[in-house]
Amino acid sequence: MNLEQLKQLKEKAQKQIALREGGKKYRVVVSMGTSGIASGAREVMKTMLDEIEKRGLDDVEVHVTGEHGLEDIEPVVRVEEAGGEKTTYARLDPEKAKKIVAEHLQKGRKVDNLAVGKQKKTE
Amino acid sequence: MFEELSQHILDIAMNSLSANAKQVQISILESRKHDWLVLRVRDDGRGMDAATLKRVLANRWSSKPQRRKPVGLGLALLQQTSEMCGGHFHVRSAPGRGTSVTASMRLSHIDRPPLGDLNATILALCATDKKMDVQLNYRSDGQKFSFDSREPATKGEVNL
Repeated sequence: MNLEQLKQLKEKAQKQIALREGGKKYRVVVSMGTSGIASGAREVMKTMLDEIEKRGLDDVEVHVTGEHGLEDIEPVVRVEEAGGEKTTYARLDPEKAKKIVAEHLQKGRKVDNLAVGKQKKTE
Repeated sequence: MFEELSQHILDIAMNSLSANAKQVQISILESRKHDWLVLRVRDDGRGMDAATLKRVLANRWSSKPQRRKPVGLGLALLQQTSEMCGGHFHVRSAPGRGTSVTASMRLSHIDRPPLGDLNATILALCATDKKMDVQLNYRSDGQKFSFDSREPATKGEVNL
């Protein structure tokens, strides 16, 4: 790590903290427990942040939580829409994460072949 | 299991989050001169009593998920890495007094994992849904810098 990277970190972290504010159309939740980290959840999160920034999507917030109890199918990301629809994506890697950003978060099209379980609707 | 020390750091600091910490301080000391790398993660979370701590550290390689409070495997993993690399591992904790985890290792040890993507670790910790302040202090023989999530744009920039 060098000073240039640190400077970037400061800028990115500031944006990230601002993204925590809420009230966005999409809320992306990345599970970051021990098994998640071991299977690459951190890299998935970073790819999504980069991709969201690259595409200039400003109606998305990214959050990190602990274990979801889904350790067999990590890395797991849940996309929650403002309308209440929730989609859980599992066994992700950076490439699949990019696809979710491009399809689901940008175009609003769910990536069915990466999703698991039934769609949940909450009131 | 973890390929990078920064993944260990993220894992330990996520425990701090589960322990309702409002602040987590990460310090990294890297000295080629003395051949040591020392990591410390300190939080102001709820802490653990002696019995919990003992159980958590004895729990190495248990794959049984501990739903209620998923600490255990992570600390044991760091202990293993640290001891494998000729270092020491120490946890100090008490109920209501937070937890401090210190892991040292020989910098030149062949099995020592690289520090890796520390930026991604700090970014992830800045994105948690509970509000937890994150501080990082890094020091090596010739370099020193700090990061503080409370004032990310202004503080730091110390160079030697």
